[in-house]
Amino acid sequence: MNEILLTILAGVPITLLLTAGALVVGVLGGIPLVAARQSRAAILRLPARATIELLRGIPPIVWLFIIFFGLGTYVRLDAMSAAAIGLGLISCAYLAEIYRGGLAAIAKGQWEASAALGMPRTATLTRVIGPQVGRVCIPAAASYAIGLLKDTSVAFTIGVTEILYWANDQSRETSDAFWPFVLAAVVYIVMTIPCAWAARALDASLRKRVAR
Amino acid sequence: MISLWTAIWIVPTLVCNRIQFDPDFPPEVPVSETKHLPGQTDRPSESAGAVRLTSLVKRFGDHVVVNDVSMDVAAGEVVAIIGPSGAGKSTLLRCINLLERPDSGIVDVAGIQFDAATPVSGKDLARLRRHVGMVFQSFNLFPHLTVLRNVALPQERVLGISRTEAEEKAIRLLDRVGLKDKAKQYPGRCSGGQQQRIAIARALALGPQIMLFDEPTSALDPELGLEVLAVMRELAAEGMTMAVVTHEMHFARDVSDHLVVMADGAILEEGDPDRIFTDPEQPRTRQFLRAVLDR
Amino acid sequence: MIGDWIPSLLGGLGVSLKLTALSLGLGLPLGLLLALGAASTRRGLRAVVIGLVELGRGTPALVMLQIVYFGLPAGGLTFSAFISAGISLALTTGAYTSEIIRGGLQAVPQGELEASSALGINHRDTLRFIVIPQGLRVALPALLGFSITIFQATSLVYSIAVPELLGKAYSIGSETFQYLSVLFLAGLMYAAITIPGSWLSGRVEHRLSRHV
Repeated sequence: MNEILLTILAGVPITLLLTAGALVVGVLGGIPLVAARQSRAAILRLPARATIELLRGIPPIVWLFIIFFGLGTYVRLDAMSAAAIGLGLISCAYLAEIYRGGLAAIAKGQWEASAALGMPRTATLTRVIGPQVGRVCIPAAASYAIGLLKDTSVAFTIGVTEILYWANDQSRETSDAFWPFVLAAVVYIVMTIPCAWAARALDASLRKRVAR
Repeated sequence: MISLWTAIWIVPTLVCNRIQFDPDFPPEVPVSETKHLPGQTDRPSESAGAVRLTSLVKRFGDHVVVNDVSMDVAAGEVVAIIGPSGAGKSTLLRCINLLERPDSGIVDVAGIQFDAATPVSGKDLARLRRHVGMVFQSFNLFPHLTVLRNVALPQERVLGISRTEAEEKAIRLLDRVGLKDKAKQYPGRCSGGQQQRIAIARALALGPQIMLFDEPTSALDPELGLEVLAVMRELAAEGMTMAVVTHEMHFARDVSDHLVVMADGAILEEGDPDRIFTDPEQPRTRQFLRAVLDR
Repeated sequence: MIGDWIPSLLGGLGVSLKLTALSLGLGLPLGLLLALGAASTRRGLRAVVIGLVELGRGTPALVMLQIVYFGLPAGGLTFSAFISAGISLALTTGAYTSEIIRGGLQAVPQGELEASSALGINHRDTLRFIVIPQGLRVALPALLGFSITIFQATSLVYSIAVPELLGKAYSIGSETFQYLSVLFLAGLMYAAITIPGSWLSGRVEHRLSRHV
């Protein structure tokens, strides 16, 4: 049992790396995507909207297959990169939607006040609206990150050596079909529960500081 | 879609009938027969419709909200309870139907006696609630049911009568409060005054012997309050036993048979409304009345 | 070429949809049961139920699938891959929807519970006629949204060889080596369900918020 657990734990760094990689891509990539989505120019807005809808509308595992097996036919791609690209792109779409929700939550008065003060649009965005959106988005982004951590398990299906990969490996090795997967579940839960607590605490403390 | 939801809720509700959703919801304590004073019976007797509160105490944490209050409401009597906000009027009223459990004292309603020291069985509580109707400040109609269903559903579930019968009675009662034409509407489409009249009809539909009114007009614009007060006057004239917490001094003076003035969780003074309004004994009563009547 | 794939892919889509229906049919009543248990006044029951829900939510759907598919036969229970997949997704559905439904039940105002209590309506009837109908109505948009998620999650059962949409697409790909086209086509079929689905759930949310 101990050996099984240790082997499974070997997948934890890969799982975390994949989560972090995809999240960074999403947090950054979501910004231009939401900017385009909210643009007044239809030529930006419509493609952005279609991209977001498709990225969210097609299941993650299908995206990974499209990238790994589909694009992989033409471009050399290792499983880890394919998974990071796929999950990263999906994260861009989800975070863009979270940012959009955050933008909608910021009172119109903030734009008006900035305009009345004569602040340029960029400064309004980076100094007034942006920071507020960031704060409002934290709870949703945190719960997305937790979901993403669990979603990285689909990378197992293209052979990324994350937690579930090693659980499956151990299940074959020991011909025990049950415990390796249960242990894998425990590892995920142990990883997500503190994240959930931390997110809740962070949200609560920010809420206290920005009492509205 | 509807039948899917029906299927979804039937299974768990049948299985989970012991599960209570709200922690403040009165729990169904295992049956333990309440003690009766010698000579007292469960049957609504000559004391039917009467309320007797003896030495009630209710605390919220350290704060004593009702402090050793005793009060009687005789059958057919209308008692108005007035006093500054925070006096414990509503809490006292809510003790009568045990929406609040007193910490000590005895509640005696229509011959059923509840001692704060003894747990109340679900059966006794159901009996009490059937004798006592209540009208809230915030109406508390069920927004997902039509006006007609609001009045009919409790009859079906509490009295166990058929839907047809319950709805016929509901129509009669809605007619009585002047809202027969609203039967098919949802409460959200009705004005506050109409909603409160519907709430009164809903309570009356169960045939209570006593009606409790907890600031029934406080959430209403004055002219909408009048239509509610008119219904209440009518009820009083018909001889309904009523306990009314109110800020409507005219109503308290004109309609009530007995006036109770509360402050700081205790009864300041009580008696004939005209006497108290013209010549209060207590300086604090005088002060309170001057403040509210000057407005 | 593409025309030859369509019937097979549509057959797979049918399996995916049936699996979604099975998962929701078993999972939503489970979610309601768990929601009621999590809101019980009995501490022991509440703690157990909340614990189970956290376990169910913390375990990635793919891991749950492996546990159910490989684990149950080890315990002497053997089901077809399709039924195993349905049970597994139903467990995930139950855990997630119980939180959604609990939120809905808690949205029913305290005053209505008091009124119901004052009218002498017992707990079971209060739940059945007052709390649950309103709670489910509040939860409906989120439940629709989750149904779309679980439809997407059916793609995971490719890993246990259920012939659903992704499985069909992959096997066509492995025969023709046209991975990119066939997988992307399958992706579009998923999107053809999920995008209108999320639009619908948005509409429902909008309508309900207007009426309440």
